[in-house]
Amino acid sequence: MDTYQWLLVFHVTGAFLLLGGGAIAAALSLSALGRERPSEIVLLFGLIRIAVVAIMAGTLLAFVFGLWLVHEAGYGYADGWVIAAILLLIVANAMGGMGGKRDEATAKLARELAASGDAPSQELKARVRDPISLTLSYGSGLVLIAVLALMVWKPGA
Amino acid sequence: MLALIRPDSWNLPLFLHILGATVLFGTTATVAIAGFAARSKPDYAQLLARVAQRTFMLGIVPAYIVMRVGAQWIDGKEFPNGDEPGWVGVGFIVSDAGVILLLIVGILLAVRRQRVLLAVPILTALYVAALAVAWVSMSGKP
Repeated sequence: MDTYQWLLVFHVTGAFLLLGGGAIAAALSLSALGRERPSEIVLLFGLIRIAVVAIMAGTLLAFVFGLWLVHEAGYGYADGWVIAAILLLIVANAMGGMGGKRDEATAKLARELAASGDAPSQELKARVRDPISLTLSYGSGLVLIAVLALMVWKPGA
Repeated sequence: MLALIRPDSWNLPLFLHILGATVLFGTTATVAIAGFAARSKPDYAQLLARVAQRTFMLGIVPAYIVMRVGAQWIDGKEFPNGDEPGWVGVGFIVSDAGVILLLIVGILLAVRRQRVLLAVPILTALYVAALAVAWVSMSGKP
């Protein structure tokens, strides 16, 4: 395999970790929506950490090897689709990060409730279903799908 | 640079193929994670089995269909005479042999007997590894 193909392998691996990690986080957080016992929410939110590691590693791989590929393949860093993809990746990460911080606060409350009797709580239920957190997290996933579309269509290239 | 030029009509099937494959990877990994977690936290085994079952039905099955339809669609456009190179064959082996493995996982999840469920994380972890082999092969085109 030549340099271009090796770079593509690492870039695509990053994309799989990023989008796959998003799918893991989505599946586990959707499962948490229907739970009421704090300890169950602690468990599911805890497993989401595995997805966060995949998302972070995937973002780094996709970004670094993506930029390298732009150079190797002879595209320009000022090309519209390249700039749009970078901006959308930043937006997706910012949205995911903000959603993640809100989820961390929810997980902390769930841990406290689990340690003090593990009784269902209306406050915890409301936080798990918080529309702002859900919009940020799932919106981040949709933005990543838009980045994938840009990578495939490369409009203007 | 010729390798980078792709007819516009290939983009939609390629997009669907990659999107389906990435979601398939993530949802299969979710079932593996839930299965391994159930082994170490038996008190939550029922909850985690339910998570795995729902993820299988609502995640793995539709993602597999999107990935496989996208694969067949772009294969028909890129290799209309059926003269596929080896790296395409790797993808088809992983997807078509994988359907048997996924069927077994689906049956095990439907049965939901404690001892039977022990096999689920192992089978899904194997399929996650096979998917990694497929994406390396399909992007590197050795």
